[in-house]
Amino acid sequence: MGELTLDSVDIVNPDLYVQRGYPHAEWALLRREAPIYYYQRPDVDPFWAITRHADIVNVSRQPGLFKSVQILFVTVNDPGSPPPEEAILRQLLNMNPPEHGAYRGVVNRRFTPRSVQQLTSGIERITTEVLDDLAGREECDFVTEVSAKLPLAVIAEMFGIPRADWPLMFRLSNEMIGPSDPEYAGTDTVTATLERARMEFFQYFNGLVEDRRKNPRDDLSSALANGLVNGEPLPIFELMSYFALLIIAGNETTRNATTGGLDAFINNPDQWELLKRDPTLVPKAVEEIVRWTSPVIQFTRQATEDTELDGQKIREGDILALFYPSANRDESIFAAPNHFDISRYPNHHVAFGIGEHFCLGANLARLELQVMFRQLAERLESVELTAPIQRMRSSFVGGIKHMPVRLKVRSRT
Amino acid sequence: MRVVVDHSLCEGNGRCVEVASGIFELRDDDRSYVLEEQPPHSLRAKVDLAVSLCPRQAIKIIEG
Repeated sequence: MGELTLDSVDIVNPDLYVQRGYPHAEWALLRREAPIYYYQRPDVDPFWAITRHADIVNVSRQPGLFKSVQILFVTVNDPGSPPPEEAILRQLLNMNPPEHGAYRGVVNRRFTPRSVQQLTSGIERITTEVLDDLAGREECDFVTEVSAKLPLAVIAEMFGIPRADWPLMFRLSNEMIGPSDPEYAGTDTVTATLERARMEFFQYFNGLVEDRRKNPRDDLSSALANGLVNGEPLPIFELMSYFALLIIAGNETTRNATTGGLDAFINNPDQWELLKRDPTLVPKAVEEIVRWTSPVIQFTRQATEDTELDGQKIREGDILALFYPSANRDESIFAAPNHFDISRYPNHHVAFGIGEHFCLGANLARLELQVMFRQLAERLESVELTAPIQRMRSSFVGGIKHMPVRLKVRSRT
Repeated sequence: MRVVVDHSLCEGNGRCVEVASGIFELRDDDRSYVLEEQPPHSLRAKVDLAVSLCPRQAIKIIEG
């Protein structure tokens, strides 16, 4: 690879994410030389790349000036598959105040620290089962057999989805998040994959809604099916989209934080030894895992009027892309940002976003990761990669599809 | 200074309690309450941090 220059950096080509992972060197160059950078390339609709922590916080805190839009992320245009003209889902991520707050209020109370705390014993039980299945085994795919299982089971139980249907939720989530990855899309185009997955999701959720309207239970499906926004039931498209959002977001991102977290420990054995010696570090370690992995690569915003950001003139209608993993390695916020340090404190990462759209499931994700890494620190006696990790083809979510490991998990004592 | 939490915005994420537990408290209605409405100036840094970390921008400092 030649010398990096501003004119040649590539931060949106999904193939690069497959081959090399996150473009941290490119982001560092942008932070240093052009933190508000107008990104113009032949195969990309131009946008402003926002790479510093302070600017991402600043933009995120002004949803009136920088609104959320249908196109959630920027990527290279696929000539064979133009992006859909309408949003594939209409949900919290592309809503704005005051509608956004009203919709968020439908389920918000189920994700507060107090509500989530009540899920602890269930999360511990599922984690123990997942690790029990590995005791006595020598090799596994850590993604499909560990990382994916816990968050999928937790969100599915919260929705009251029967276990037999969990694999369907897993497959459809992958197709919605990774429609340009051949493992998930096969030979279908991005648009065709998204539309097919959406249709299957909606058919399934429609069944749940009909059931929970007749037989309400204490689950998320019932809360959504019978929920009100401004005194009215949710319109059907928004209702179906809400189900899809929570199922996808609930199982995709935590999966990647878990996988990326273990990968970080494999590459930093001193930190692994430290965690095993001192389990009280688990909450701090989880914050560092979330900072380090930053599973969401970017969300976009659109300027609603002409404005200025750090001296750059932004025009009404311009698209801005907020690169969270870059903010989380910002030298002006984090000491030694490229060190994985589970004792790091304070740790003001923005992996969950900040402001109006702060991750609804942050408390749940934290708890799942804390339980998982506490149990791993107790029971995982050894682990090593047997082949390189395989990344998803996406510049939106830093997905890890497979992580083949040789490992030894202690039987339950 | 006076610290107030706007309960029409607060949704109980609890970041304020994490960084300034003596000043804020999460109650059973999942909202943050100000325990010390006029904290001493020595706690200003903690309050500022709580303000900046609140995902919903629900905490305000009224000067004076």
